[in-house]
Amino acid sequence: MEFLGYFGGVFEPVAFMLLLGGTVGGLILGATPGLSPTMAVALLIPFTFQLSPTHGLILLGAAYTSTVAGGAVSAILLKIPGAPANIATALDGHEMAKQGEGARALHLSFLASGIGGVIGVMLLIFLTPVLAEWALAFGPSHLFWMAILGVTLIGSLDSKSFVKGLLSGCIGLWLATIGYDDNYGVPRFIFSDALTGGIHIIPALIGLFAIPQVMEMFAKGRNASAIEQVTVTKHKLSSSFREIAKSGRALSIGTVIGSIIGLIPGVGGQIAGLVAYDQTRKFSPHKAKFGTGHPEGVIAAESANNAMVGPSLVPLLTLSIPGSPTAAVLLGGLLIHGIFPGGDLFERHPEVIWTFINSMLLGQILMVVFGIWIAASAARIARAPMPIMAAAVLILAVFGSYSVQQSMGDVYIMLILGMTMYALEKFGFSAAPLVLGLILGDIAEDNFILGSRIADATDGSMIYFFGGTFNLVLVALVLGSVLYSFISNRAINDALPTNTKAEK
Amino acid sequence: MKRLLTGLTMALTSLTVAGAASAADSYPERPIGVAVSYGAGGATDFQARIVTMVAGNEDLLGQPIYIINKPGAGGRVGWNWLATQADNDGYTMGAYNVPHFIAQSIKGGVKYSTDSFEPIANWGSDPAVFVVGKDSEFNSMEDVVAFAKENPGKLTLSGAGLFVGHHIAALQIEKACDCKMAYIPTKGGGAAAMKAVIAGDVKAGINNLSDAFRAREAGNVKILGVADLERNEEFLSDVPTMMEAGLDVDNSSVNFRGLMVPKGTDPAIIETLAAKVPAMFENARVAKRMKAGGSPMKIMTRDEVLKMWAERQETLEELLKGL
Amino acid sequence: MTSTRIQHTIPALVVLAIAVVVAWLSFTQEPVEAFLFPRIISVFFVGLALWNAYRALAGLARVGGGISSTVALNVLPGLVVALVFVFLAATKLGFYVSGALTFLTIYTIYDPVPLSSLNGWVRRIVTTLVFMGVMYALFALLLQVQTPRGMFF
Repeated sequence: MEFLGYFGGVFEPVAFMLLLGGTVGGLILGATPGLSPTMAVALLIPFTFQLSPTHGLILLGAAYTSTVAGGAVSAILLKIPGAPANIATALDGHEMAKQGEGARALHLSFLASGIGGVIGVMLLIFLTPVLAEWALAFGPSHLFWMAILGVTLIGSLDSKSFVKGLLSGCIGLWLATIGYDDNYGVPRFIFSDALTGGIHIIPALIGLFAIPQVMEMFAKGRNASAIEQVTVTKHKLSSSFREIAKSGRALSIGTVIGSIIGLIPGVGGQIAGLVAYDQTRKFSPHKAKFGTGHPEGVIAAESANNAMVGPSLVPLLTLSIPGSPTAAVLLGGLLIHGIFPGGDLFERHPEVIWTFINSMLLGQILMVVFGIWIAASAARIARAPMPIMAAAVLILAVFGSYSVQQSMGDVYIMLILGMTMYALEKFGFSAAPLVLGLILGDIAEDNFILGSRIADATDGSMIYFFGGTFNLVLVALVLGSVLYSFISNRAINDALPTNTKAEK
Repeated sequence: MKRLLTGLTMALTSLTVAGAASAADSYPERPIGVAVSYGAGGATDFQARIVTMVAGNEDLLGQPIYIINKPGAGGRVGWNWLATQADNDGYTMGAYNVPHFIAQSIKGGVKYSTDSFEPIANWGSDPAVFVVGKDSEFNSMEDVVAFAKENPGKLTLSGAGLFVGHHIAALQIEKACDCKMAYIPTKGGGAAAMKAVIAGDVKAGINNLSDAFRAREAGNVKILGVADLERNEEFLSDVPTMMEAGLDVDNSSVNFRGLMVPKGTDPAIIETLAAKVPAMFENARVAKRMKAGGSPMKIMTRDEVLKMWAERQETLEELLKGL
Repeated sequence: MTSTRIQHTIPALVVLAIAVVVAWLSFTQEPVEAFLFPRIISVFFVGLALWNAYRALAGLARVGGGISSTVALNVLPGLVVALVFVFLAATKLGFYVSGALTFLTIYTIYDPVPLSSLNGWVRRIVTTLVFMGVMYALFALLLQVQTPRGMFF
């Protein structure tokens, strides 16, 4: 309960202003397409040069928590996921916004983020020493199997057609191999200079989700009657609270999965949202409603991606190993103030570190309050006339993809991927499994090669990848997941009437 | 020598051209970008952000410097971009890591060499050190060599990639002890390589002095040797050099970091930068932050860097010949 | 053959062709170690693409309605503007100027208000200026994020 003693520090006037500024600023940065939490935190680091260590960390802690949730705003309203963490949010959240339920989607998203986030930080406060060992237990072979386990989800994720879901995933896995290979420095599938750096995940996300959306709007043409004016329903906050209270299943699945995945160094929060979304759907009695604007999808995804924030800092604070790109940037923020993370950090700089953690805790709450406050007006974006919406999303998409690494090549990749995805979607392929393949391809390959190299120098691949309880449990999970996909796929096929021509 | 001459001719032409070049007179008019070939949060990125933070001061460049991260394939992606795609108008600089980019250009498969870039100044040097987990059976380099001799190819050794400083150090150690180790490059830079050592995925590792120092402070690793000519008095005065441990390893693997611009940048602009950038590195606030972060500084002028690049080119060609 | 069947067959064959090219490249390029993973992927890729092509040819592919000619005609002008914006205007004119032109063009193309209406033009131009003004204030002035540069800004 030591952390309670340091709450006073957060409530000093300057500290509280920074906390407030960090939260609001983080939300805005997170909602800006192309500015992922990693970049947003990197942008804020120079501001902390002028501040004392404690104040600097309050700013960074608050910003980190709220950028992750801020990404949900653009995911829901514009279908531009701010970061990989928000992909799953876009799937149902944007459908809700299109139906005029944007305010409800934002309410649920912020409440779920807040609950997941507070639980995640609580884990960080109370279980850090235990969790640190757990984080180290994941070696290359385990990470490889984890990635494969993720790949097995591909077939069941947001796709009406099993084979096309898998095929989309395969395309994603292939796209991940494009560019200079990281392990041997060999160019692979580089057909144009724009591809030498590979396909960066953020421009890919923007292209795959936002551009088909823009083209869908174009497709309606310049016909007054076709431009439907959505009625944006006012949504009472009390009913959102009631709905959250009833969504125990989605919340707990999201929070548990988010915390566990957040802990694993290298996998980070990129896939937490998607995995939680998929699992919630499997356990939900309303499977068919997912993807059509089902609130459970938003709740699961957002509770997962904020639950991962706390645990993702465990390896950093205890072992000085950043477990995610954002943690790496935060490490820089600590170092410039002469604070070295490590096992005894909590004894050497208790005031700094507890204030930092407290600011994340309070940041979560402030973020919920502020998020809900803007929800009603933000949701009115859905009422903007179609041409304005289409033009604005296109320009934001270009801005977002460019600003990641100041590269026009990324913008070209974004637009071409987006146009292709539009055509593919018209024939039953979908973007979510493709993106999952793109993310997991790198993780699987790197750990496979790393593991093989270690195995070659030690016991050989069979023992290295299949030895030990942990490996075997993961292999069993992979097999179970594959089996489940086949069985449920058969069940869906049988249930489908033969003459359905799902006109989308 | 050749490069020295080129540098000299460049300096001379710049004197004559400077009067005519109006673009160079008012340089810089807008913020300047620095392309870092490693991801945000890595040691190079972190240091680049610190050493450039005072660029906006009126007595220095008078315009802020912002960082662009172009990570991938051990730095190849970023340097390829700088050599072939970046504008050479003085508003795009790059951060170099020696020996990384020189070794990669010698191995081939990339579109750059030392001739593709013009150095501006050097800000830091970070020697490679040999680390083992805190419970490791190894307590000195002698233990390590003895194990490697008995078990050829069984000593797994993590490092931040192929043909980066860590790999060069590993190659030099192997050559010096005449034994075989299993060098395992990790993706994700020094942090991932350090994680492999702390978690026991590998038996030992080569890492940056700054990161290893921090990991030792946290009680996670032991540091057995420094691949440099002298001990590092500031951070690790108790750790012997490789030479002291009986291994003939010099400072070829020391990671020099600094700023450069693509070839073809206006010589007058290069002159302006070469004059002002070292002063920026010497700023007291920069020094304070660098020291707080455990990052050793070594400020070198453009001429010194040109000489250092040429020397490295020679020694690395020699070392990598057999591979 | 029904039109949906033809519509589904074309993309299925295109994807199959890509899969075959990927597989061919993976198995012919050197060095082998670097292409090990692409090889594994490409085997699954080709297999799935074959299965998908078979389903399309057999008329089993039912999901997705395809692209009708009306839809294609509607999308085309907007798409052309987007392509010109990204591949030409952004680097020639600079992000904010080309962005404003793109915004105005798209708005004009898809606005149901007739072109002869003066009010329509005023509304379109004002909206464009307000949107790009907010973008400029937020990104260029406040956050100082870099955008593509050209003749203007």
